[in-house]
Amino acid sequence: MAMNHTQDCGRHIEDLSDYLDTGASPDAEHIDHCPQCQARLAGLRSLNAAAMELLDDDVASASAGDTGWLDGILANLKLETRAGRSIPLEGGDMEDLSATEGSVIAMVRAVGDSLGGVLIGRCRLEGDVSVPGAPVEVNINVSARYGYQLPSLAQELREAVLAQILVQTELNIAAVNVAFTDMRPPLGDGTRNAEAPESTEEGKQ
Amino acid sequence: MTRLHNPTGKLADAPDAVLAERAGDGDVAAFEALARRHGPLMRAYARRLARTYDEADDVVQDALITAWKDIGSLQDGTAVKAWLMRIVGRRAVDAGRRRKSHGNVDEQPETADKAPTPDQAAVAGSARQALSTALARLPEEQRRCWVLKEFGGQSYEEIAEALGISAASVRGRLARARTTLVKEMEEWR
Repeated sequence: MAMNHTQDCGRHIEDLSDYLDTGASPDAEHIDHCPQCQARLAGLRSLNAAAMELLDDDVASASAGDTGWLDGILANLKLETRAGRSIPLEGGDMEDLSATEGSVIAMVRAVGDSLGGVLIGRCRLEGDVSVPGAPVEVNINVSARYGYQLPSLAQELREAVLAQILVQTELNIAAVNVAFTDMRPPLGDGTRNAEAPESTEEGKQ
Repeated sequence: MTRLHNPTGKLADAPDAVLAERAGDGDVAAFEALARRHGPLMRAYARRLARTYDEADDVVQDALITAWKDIGSLQDGTAVKAWLMRIVGRRAVDAGRRRKSHGNVDEQPETADKAPTPDQAAVAGSARQALSTALARLPEEQRRCWVLKEFGGQSYEEIAEALGISAASVRGRLARARTTLVKEMEEWR
């Protein structure tokens, strides 16, 4: 069987690929001056370029037509939710009522998202939520929109979250900590509801 | 077809990292936004790895189910795209294994029997069409390595682990695949 990957000059295509990937090779002196190696490098570069074009094409045809294939997959996923820890509620004589950590975090997200300029990221309840009265801290990551005053935004968020948690649960909230972990560019004008109209995926023939 | 409305419009331009954090906290809408953003790439990748388009869609479904279960343990949300692609790669390899153990397909190289889509027909005669044809003619084990590396961006070690072979074998298969592909591309020119 012919050793196709061996060059006459003794260099292997693996070495040339590595050189192309990293831009460095202990054998660079040879490669830079060997016509055969240079020809193979040119071939590999063309292959890489064609590969990127092919991938772009593939992605375009994968997203062509309707999104029915993805809708079906996602519909199945919604059946499974994550509850997290159980949080007791004193419900009088009734069975021991409880909320879940997941439901409280979902509530924090809903409260935060209702405020202009705020998008809630990760939210964690630190403390023993399963013990009534134990102090709990709420740690929230926030992606903020440029143009909002961060200190007042944080204050507004803390107050809204605290108020809602006090209404909905019996958690003893020691603190609501807000960390701005991301900034998003402003939205043209005041059209806060028409978010991201700039992505024009359709209209491509 | 119009774009599906986003349940919470704010998620549309949210960065991957924020969506990944929310999805990790159980926010289905955030996971959905991620799936819609990266779904076409995952599907395109799966189509190159799987035998048929139907198998590819099954692979994407498996991958998204796994991702939804595990995204809470993803440390770096900015890497969610690469993470999703790794899951697709592993699931596609698994699907290939199941197919082989169920059917009695011989070890002969399989050629992809994919009907060209209108998009592909439109670019016939282009470099990417030549590559597509050449790829389909590669032995499956070489094609997989090449697609995992070039489309999936996976390292030799990751590919080796997914395929259950050594990193040296991955290197060898990739070298053979590249040699053949470069040659066929040159002949096409």
